[in-house]
Amino acid sequence: MLRAGCQVLTQTALPAGKTGGNSFALEFVRWRRKPRWLPVAKSKVFRVPERKKQTEEERTELMRLHNQYKTQLRSVRQYLREEVVRHEETSTADHIVLTPEQEEAEFQKCLDLNAAWNARIAKEREARLAKEREEKVAYVQERLEAKQLREEERREQANQRVLREIELSKTYITRENLDAAIEAALANPVDHNFAIDLDGNLYRGRNTSQLTEASPNPNPEPNQQALSN
Amino acid sequence: MPTYELALVLRQLPRPELISVIRRTAEAIFDKGGIIRKLENLGTRALPHKVSEHGVVHREGTHFTIAFDTAPTQIADLKEEFGRDIDIIRRYVFKVQEPEEHKCTLHEEMLPPAYRKDVQEIVEAAKRTQKKKYNYNSGLDYYPFQK
Repeated sequence: MLRAGCQVLTQTALPAGKTGGNSFALEFVRWRRKPRWLPVAKSKVFRVPERKKQTEEERTELMRLHNQYKTQLRSVRQYLREEVVRHEETSTADHIVLTPEQEEAEFQKCLDLNAAWNARIAKEREARLAKEREEKVAYVQERLEAKQLREEERREQANQRVLREIELSKTYITRENLDAAIEAALANPVDHNFAIDLDGNLYRGRNTSQLTEASPNPNPEPNQQALSN
Repeated sequence: MPTYELALVLRQLPRPELISVIRRTAEAIFDKGGIIRKLENLGTRALPHKVSEHGVVHREGTHFTIAFDTAPTQIADLKEEFGRDIDIIRRYVFKVQEPEEHKCTLHEEMLPPAYRKDVQEIVEAAKRTQKKKYNYNSGLDYYPFQK
């Protein structure tokens, strides 16, 4: 909202540019101006701003001030540089001057210390690796034993199954005893239905009669068999 | 070879013909390299609803099961063969499963809820989700957390 430059410009109507009469060199372009991204107006494309006129006296005065400033600054810089050099030459605060023998001894000391550290760490590492190796061996051994056990169990189960089947194979129905088996099956109809009462008694069969051959068990005698439970 | 169970519903037939139908069925299984474990007659009964099969309406049937072993690749052939037999009203082949083992936990289920393990787990889970409360009589004379 602050339009310092514009106001100053309009009030004083100075020709010295937009920031010329502004004590704090601020130009707000947010309001009452074209946006920043718009190009130069067509009518102003070939306008060359006129250079400011400088009198001879003004130029010589500015040059004198400039030269004076540069000279003074150069002399201060040179003084400071020389001071640093002087200080470096005279003091040994930040560096220790050693003879070659001393340097060699220092290096040897560092080497020994480093070797000692390395030896200690190597010992620790050896112990750790040995422990890990042992653990791994134990783990593998355990897994192998578990696998063997599992295999044995599986084989045992398979064996049992084979034995059971061999046992059962005596009761298999073959072509030879097929007629007898059919006769037996027809003679003995089975019924897998059953009922349970609250006391856990099991009543096999059902009450509805079969159609042919004078229903085998119209009123099944309660085959009571207490459920174990 | 896996064990299968063939459940048959046969047309109501006189005994000799019934025997021949069963023998035919069993022979078919034998011809496919199967083993018959057991034959069971479940009796002749009225069907639960009238069944139209092979162009005839049936109201009674003889129920018969055959437990047999055969290669799984033969099952489709067997089914197809039994499907063509006009004396067979229905035929179903089931794979016999190993009986499941399970323990009776009724006495645990009948306990009061507070003693049941699953209820205790639920209570624990609910406690874990609850926000912890600050105990005011713990010695501090100010509330140490942000209100």
